[in-house]
Amino acid sequence: MDLGFPWWLRVEHFLNIVFISFLVRSGIEILGTYPKLYRSQHTVAGTAWAQFTIQRAPKHKYYTVGGEYDDYSPRLSLPGRGLLGLGRYWHFITVTGFVSSWVIYFVLLIFTGQWRRYVPTSLDTFTQAGHDMIAYLAFTVPDAVAGMPFNAVQQLSYGFVILVLTPLVIITGAFQSPAIANYFSRITRAVGGRQVIRTVHFLCLLGYVAFFVVHVLMVLIHGYAHETAKMVFGNSDLPVAGGLIFTIGLVVVVALHVVATRWTLSDGRAVERLHNVVVRPWSNLLYRLPARMHYSRSNVSGDDVALQNATHNFRGSGRPPEAKEYLALMANGYDDDYVLEIGGYVERPMSLTIRDLRELADGHSQTTLHHCVQGFSSIGRWSGITVSDLLDLAGPLPGATDVVYTSFQNMGRDDALYEGGTYYESNPMIEARMPQTLIAFELNDEGEIPAKNGAPVRLRMETSTGFRSLKWLERIEVVNRYDIIGQGRGGYFEDADFYDRNQLI
Amino acid sequence: MKDERSPALRAGVDFRGTENATVRVSEHVKPGRKRAPLLRYIRINLPRVTRLLLLLVVAVIGAASAAVALSDHEPFTFAGPILWSVVGVTVVFVAVGLVTSARIWAWGVGIAVASLLVYLGGIAGDAPYVWNGASVVLAATWNVTLLASIGYLVLYWALRYGMMVAAPDDQNFMD
Repeated sequence: MDLGFPWWLRVEHFLNIVFISFLVRSGIEILGTYPKLYRSQHTVAGTAWAQFTIQRAPKHKYYTVGGEYDDYSPRLSLPGRGLLGLGRYWHFITVTGFVSSWVIYFVLLIFTGQWRRYVPTSLDTFTQAGHDMIAYLAFTVPDAVAGMPFNAVQQLSYGFVILVLTPLVIITGAFQSPAIANYFSRITRAVGGRQVIRTVHFLCLLGYVAFFVVHVLMVLIHGYAHETAKMVFGNSDLPVAGGLIFTIGLVVVVALHVVATRWTLSDGRAVERLHNVVVRPWSNLLYRLPARMHYSRSNVSGDDVALQNATHNFRGSGRPPEAKEYLALMANGYDDDYVLEIGGYVERPMSLTIRDLRELADGHSQTTLHHCVQGFSSIGRWSGITVSDLLDLAGPLPGATDVVYTSFQNMGRDDALYEGGTYYESNPMIEARMPQTLIAFELNDEGEIPAKNGAPVRLRMETSTGFRSLKWLERIEVVNRYDIIGQGRGGYFEDADFYDRNQLI
Repeated sequence: MKDERSPALRAGVDFRGTENATVRVSEHVKPGRKRAPLLRYIRINLPRVTRLLLLLVVAVIGAASAAVALSDHEPFTFAGPILWSVVGVTVVFVAVGLVTSARIWAWGVGIAVASLLVYLGGIAGDAPYVWNGASVVLAATWNVTLLASIGYLVLYWALRYGMMVAAPDDQNFMD
């Protein structure tokens, strides 16, 4: 069959330029908020194999992960300036198009027989690819294989990018989602954990960039107009017109980037609305994946690097409350004074001390991975009682839809990085009822939770990114609507920044 | 003064008296600028891999030079002895690099530059290109001496710039 360049292949080629360039730029934005890569599942200080920052953290002072943002230029990342939430929005919007487009392309390749253009049907292809590589190194241009639109080394490299690199980047990207990583917990652990997968995801980015550089170089060597005309008309009969139209297409892509960057920096909420329309239809499906992660006790952060105090090594993100009432609780060791209130739309409002919680928990614990939205991770063993069990005790009234958690923390007062406001979070009943949504009162069997990690009581929401696992918990309220609380987006960071309440990805 | 309550001091990290003790420090930002040059943001800490990579690149220069010297296509008059000299030095370089932990990377620049000079000599003379009657394989091998030499110089520059480190050095990340 004459493989040629069918119209759908040419459309796919152009869309990929748009999608991959947006994914790379928004991916760099995401990387920049925790610009470190690791070879182990832990993010122990000093063990990164790569850093992409010019900042050095203070050496004799506690610093939070919120201060690790690096401020990349909007010319490089989308949208730049350390705006993680908006970078995530663009990444997920684009990924929706990229994956849809790749799936359609894959199906068309299979059903039209065009898969032959990428999949070698003979071992001779590999031998020929070796000859072609030598020809390129000799500064000559090898001929196309008979009946094929390109030579053997092109066939293998395109096949690798489309049939190996792309599925790999999609899968490693999907496993950055806490909901997916925790549902397919065995796979996550088998391949080395979140940080290893994150590293592979980054290497995929390098793979795309390297392919892009070589691909463009080859297009120039083979003849820009001649080659780009094939991507416009399907043949090179009209090279000048083809080259011109393709160049206009590239200008449009650049214009799209400029418009998207400026629009995002000027009206982030509009990007958020676009995200909600494009992404939520599929991200909401992830509520069907309850977390089922159980690391072994030996995986707890710190053990593998021989740190004596594993809990000390569980990364803190955020500053403990500085309210007098909280400091008084801390001074008294919490046990006698702390009371967790559960109220709102429930039949039996209640107040529970830590002793009450411990009795109700009856030794229950979960050893899980903390998925920080910025990128760090820590493994800890949390003792506590599931929110579902607490809800059963309190008895939600008919019409109760959400659970709201309020912290002792006031962001502006306690953490200079943010604007003022009480820290709160909420989740829909389906998320509150998940088996690993936990009210925790102890970390790593060490009797309590350290102040930096949310003492005395905190929420663990393993299907979501870390900031939704509210620390320093003061009160739980069952409600029938969350959109009248705060600014109505379901949580402090959802209100004050650009994060979706659905943080399953 | 010792402070047994400080984990940093106990670990031998003593920044007392410096700005980095209590506040975040941004490096390489020139006065009046908000950000550092782009490549300053890249710091790779794979010392052993980098050491092996540098040795491999030099080994490739040596192997390709030997292949050209063994061919019957002399790039220029008396190129043979010069090519064999390059090969000899690369053998010593790679052996020293593998057996010791010496920082020999500046010596590698000499090898790369020598190889580049040989290549330039070939351009001025009768380089084994296909259009000069050489076989495709020989032409490719000849060009590998150019590409590997440039590759080494780029890696050496990245090393000096701080983007990467070769064993026994380390980026000494503490964050």
